[in-house]
Amino acid sequence: MLSKNQARTFFVVGTVFFTGVFFYLSYDTVVNHVDKQTNSQNMSAEVVRGKRLFDENNCMGCHTIMGEGAYYAPELTKVYERRGPDWIDVFMDDPEAMFPGERKMVKYNFTKEEKADLIAFFKWVGEIDLNGFPPEPDKGAFASTVITTTGSAAVEEKPSKWSLCSACHSLGGSGGNVGPALDGVGNKFDADYLRKWISDPQSVKPGTAMPKLPLSDAEREEMVEFLSKLK
Amino acid sequence: MKYESQKVSFWFFATCMLLLTLQIVYGFIMGFDRIGLDVLHDWIPFNAARATHTNLLVVWLLTGFMGAAHYIIPEESGRELFSVKLAYIQLISLILVGVTAIIGFHFNWWEGRKFLEIPRPLDYLVVLNVLTFLANIILTMWNGKKHTTTGIVLVMGLLFAALLYLPGMIWFDNQTLDSFFRWYVVHLWVEGVWELIMGGILAFLLIKLTGVDREVIEKWLYVIVGLTFLSGVLGTGHHYYYIGAPKYWLMIGGIFSILEPLAFLAMALFAINMYRKAGREHPNKLALYWTLGCALTSFVGAGLLGAAHTLPQVNMYTHGTLVTAMHGHMAFWGAYAMLVLAIISYSMPLLTGRKIYNNKVGLYAFWLSNIGMLGMTVALAVAGIAQVYLERKYGMDFLAVQKEIEIHFVVMLICATMFATGIGLYIANFIKYGGPVGQVTEEGDNYFEEAVA
Ligand code: HEC
Ligand code: HEC
Ligand code: HEM
Ligand code: HEM
Ligand SMILES: [Fe+2]
Repeated sequence: MLSKNQARTFFVVGTVFFTGVFFYLSYDTVVNHVDKQTNSQNMSAEVVRGKRLFDENNCMGCHTIMGEGAYYAPELTKVYERRGPDWIDVFMDDPEAMFPGERKMVKYNFTKEEKADLIAFFKWVGEIDLNGFPPEPDKGAFASTVITTTGSAAVEEKPSKWSLCSACHSLGGSGGNVGPALDGVGNKFDADYLRKWISDPQSVKPGTAMPKLPLSDAEREEMVEFLSKLK
Repeated sequence: MKYESQKVSFWFFATCMLLLTLQIVYGFIMGFDRIGLDVLHDWIPFNAARATHTNLLVVWLLTGFMGAAHYIIPEESGRELFSVKLAYIQLISLILVGVTAIIGFHFNWWEGRKFLEIPRPLDYLVVLNVLTFLANIILTMWNGKKHTTTGIVLVMGLLFAALLYLPGMIWFDNQTLDSFFRWYVVHLWVEGVWELIMGGILAFLLIKLTGVDREVIEKWLYVIVGLTFLSGVLGTGHHYYYIGAPKYWLMIGGIFSILEPLAFLAMALFAINMYRKAGREHPNKLALYWTLGCALTSFVGAGLLGAAHTLPQVNMYTHGTLVTAMHGHMAFWGAYAMLVLAIISYSMPLLTGRKIYNNKVGLYAFWLSNIGMLGMTVALAVAGIAQVYLERKYGMDFLAVQKEIEIHFVVMLICATMFATGIGLYIANFIKYGGPVGQVTEEGDNYFEEAVA
């Protein structure tokens, strides 16, 4: 039968050995791998300031990032890719306007520069090699139940600020569902109405859930032209 | 009670009761937020409630461990505490730092790293405080008449827990490195050195409650903590799968963390076997319930429910979902909350001289809190699994999924009410004991040694 001395030896030797291996692997990870996997050469001063803002405001107390944090609000690792920088910039000014009647986020009064820092941080995090996380949903099998919310900024023929709209509106089956789908909206409204609507939805329809979005005149014209052609 | 100075532990335990109550209040605030009743949002947003909830948890457990050490170490060293005054100063300063931190959370003053939210300036005070505590305990043991394995394991656990707080205080600009070393604290605490503390306290309780020979108990104690480190140290890899660390952690973390339940299984079997071996029943039934309950529930909450999502293939989908919250609740409850409640149930009759050993209130407290916690865990599990399927597999939008699973939080809140009632009864009993006026007796509190004599 095992004696107390043997038991103690088992404990001491096992602990020392595996702790040694663990330190060695930690060293290898930190020195040989992390810089490559996280593209640390892209960690600009902006990215680092963005991380500090993320920490100082405890965004992790509601959100997860790289799967760590709280489970109350969306996972943010891929938010840059999902929403695009324009949308995040507008969203941060008034989260409730973008998600009328939804679960609340804190309204922060970030400056334009601070928002840019956060966005740079999200862009950098989104590019880290996370060994495949977050997993790609199995869209093929359940196509009918899929509600995608991708900001389709990448598609060329869309207007430059389309990501601001696609979070709430779908087009051709992809986009958000806060507002109605915009397929065929060119048949419903003429350019004048659309111009007025987009400049200030409240003045056209008081109490509407569509927020006023910051677009320059040129961007608005581009949008109106695009929408008018959706027939 | 054998030594006058053991009485300080009463005040540590009383602090535990207070902080536990507050922790539950903040748990309810978050639970209501989740079913859309978020009227407190402007004053206590979810992130403030969460930081408060989890930090209160950690602080009351540590306070409980300290109380336990102030009770156990004098007895295991055969002498009075090195300094009673130092113990009081340490407790009061700990409360002051803790309260400052928690008030700070409500004013957006924190570090925003999960479980390590306490701001850096306060971290230094925490370190100073814990050093004071350790000095007092280690000096007591150093000059003691005897040095027991139980005492040494307990003190080693406390010492390494303090050391492991330090990696959490390094600044990193890289999110991956920040996270990597955050786990040095969080994982190596709960699945490493805190298990030493758990083993030490459980061994002490079993020696006192079953009368089984110390040599036998302490031999198994070494085997258990040996298993803990064998699996738990490299098991840290189960947090390194998807945070930007190299792929070899998938293999290493998977293999070693799936072995971690062995340590908890050994703890459960050990406790039950020692109980079976007991020649005669110790009259303090409540302490026995909590002790055995702790050993069993920790195996379920930490061992089984931890293993359920620890393989990389599973964790890919469950990582950062309510499945984690499910496991977090039952594991902390079974392993550490019940442990502290066990040592309190055991020592209070001796500290206060009121023999509340087996009353109805105490039994209801045990069953209501445990069944309530089990219900909360099941509700969170159902919500978590639904979330994994809808969000990660079918690609549904986060907020849409949250609406689908809201109903499970109604169930969780009902179970939480049952749980809170149990804790309420436990505290009612605690108050019934009254203040620390127990008699110091030559024989101490060893029921079995007494019986032999
Ligand atoms: C009180 C909880 C809470 C805190 C704190 C919080 N958020 Fe949010 N956040 C939310 C919720 C809830 C949503 C989902 C949209 C909504 O309902 O407003 C969200 C959405 C977002 C989104 C859009 C995600 C998407 O995919 O649509 C971004 C980006 C974001 N938050 C960034 C942040 C940043 C940066 C911080 C810290 C400075 C932060 N959040 C702090 C609750 C929070
Ligand atoms: C926060 C979500 C949100 C965003 C962002 C948003 N919308 Fe809307 N939108 C709505 C809602 C809600 C309605 C329905 C308004 C109503 O009927 O009261 C709407 C209505 C519309 C309509 C009328 C559709 C119809 O069939 O009646 C058009 C056109 C439109 N939006 C265009 C845009 C454009 C262009 C953008 C981007 C610049 C945009 N929206 C951004 C929420 C949004
Ligand atoms: C008493 C012991 C334990 C406690 C108190 C505990 C508690 C926790 C907590 C609080 C978390 C969330 C941490 C965070 O995200 O910051 C967590 C995560 C985790 N635990 Fe445990 N745990 C224990 C034991 C175990 C064991 C034995 C296993 C495996 C067999 C395990 C597997 C995991 C895994 C895989 C995660 C990561 C979940 C994710 O990816 O989101 N745990 N645990
Ligand atoms: C009784 C009422 C309780 C309620 C209603 C409650 C509710 C909650 C909620 C809603 C969360 C946040 C999950 C999220 O991020 O969305 C949480 C986190 C947590 N709670 Fe509780 N809780 C209660 C009691 C407890 C107890 C008694 C313990 C410990 C023994 C505990 C330990 C934890 C832990 C460890 C976390 C962090 C989990 C993680 O990050 O994975 N809670 N709780
Ligand atoms: Fe772990």
